[in-house]
Amino acid sequence: MSDPSDKHGPASGEPSSQERAQFEARISELGERLGKVRSHRKADMDEDADAEMRGRGMAYGMRMAAELVAAVIVGGVIGWSLDWVLGSRPWLFLLFFLLGFAAGVLNVMRAYERMQREFAARGGKIGQSLPDDERG
Amino acid sequence: MPDPIHQFDLHRILPLNLGGWDVSFTNSAAFMLATVLLSTAFLVYAMRSRGLVPGRLQSVAEITHDFIADMVRESMGKEGMKFFPFVFAIFMFIFVGNMLGMIPGGFTVTSHIIVTAALAALVFVMVLVVGFAKNGLHFLKLFVPPGVPWYVLPLVSLIEVISFLSRPVSHSVRLFANMLAGHITLKVFGGFVVMLLGAGSFAVLAPLPLLMAIAITALEVLVAFLQAYVFTVLTCMYLNDALHPEGH
Repeated sequence: MSDPSDKHGPASGEPSSQERAQFEARISELGERLGKVRSHRKADMDEDADAEMRGRGMAYGMRMAAELVAAVIVGGVIGWSLDWVLGSRPWLFLLFFLLGFAAGVLNVMRAYERMQREFAARGGKIGQSLPDDERG
Repeated sequence: MPDPIHQFDLHRILPLNLGGWDVSFTNSAAFMLATVLLSTAFLVYAMRSRGLVPGRLQSVAEITHDFIADMVRESMGKEGMKFFPFVFAIFMFIFVGNMLGMIPGGFTVTSHIIVTAALAALVFVMVLVVGFAKNGLHFLKLFVPPGVPWYVLPLVSLIEVISFLSRPVSHSVRLFANMLAGHITLKVFGGFVVMLLGAGSFAVLAPLPLLMAIAITALEVLVAFLQAYVFTVLTCMYLNDALHPEGH
């Protein structure tokens, strides 16, 4: 820009058409460079988020497995002890084992719903990679 | 081959016997004590200046506070903040305990299921006590999902009860299994390095498991944090059921 003293002059504040063309060229160049930097940074951030998601994915996978197995074990233990008390081995054990499995599936479905909500709140990164018909 | 399980051995530092019960002060107890002292000392020291503009340590303490406070508010709403001290203590204990276990030669208190089971049982009992104290018998609505016809209700309720009882199991096993498996893996790869070094010309291969051990160490630091986080999130969720038994 010109120095402040002649900025207030009647015609000197207006840039010539040549100056304006130069200015526009510089702006578009800057825009291109900014775009490049931005796309690089976005790729970097996506990569970081991806690595973080993989770490979380591992943790969530373990969580799912634990939810299922824990319910089956609890069901089995309840049935087994009821059998032991009532002397009806092995019927109640079998019944509660199956009920435990049902409870395990219920646990996994609940955990999955919660994860979907969490991911949706954070921008739905993992939810997008799932087919639509798998969403609860 | 160095024994990968050896790191989990308990030994008595201060043998104590109380009425026939062995209540010795063990290395596990020592590390639990260190965990509590360290986290308390850190928070007290970090907040000593109480500056309006936080210094470095103070901002770490404030970030930790906000992290847990946001988690509690998000899952339980404003009234859930009554549980903030409890949830914060659980998170700090597990996180600092896990991190102390990452120090070579350290002992990981959370790699013993009795410790994680005690924590999970604490949460479980807390949910029961708070649930019944706050909602009375309405707390049992937790086992009656809405919109279920009466003729399948007994079956569904039974399944819900089993699902509820399975919570402390999965809650405790997950943390314990992750820490145990991670530390065993680390030790096994470390053992490979030593074995290869002692195997004549195979020593040239020794850097390979070393690289793996380094990578797993980084992963273990992440797991140490993530498992503390997951345990805390689940604690919040279960406590939320105690506050609002109707809605899952």
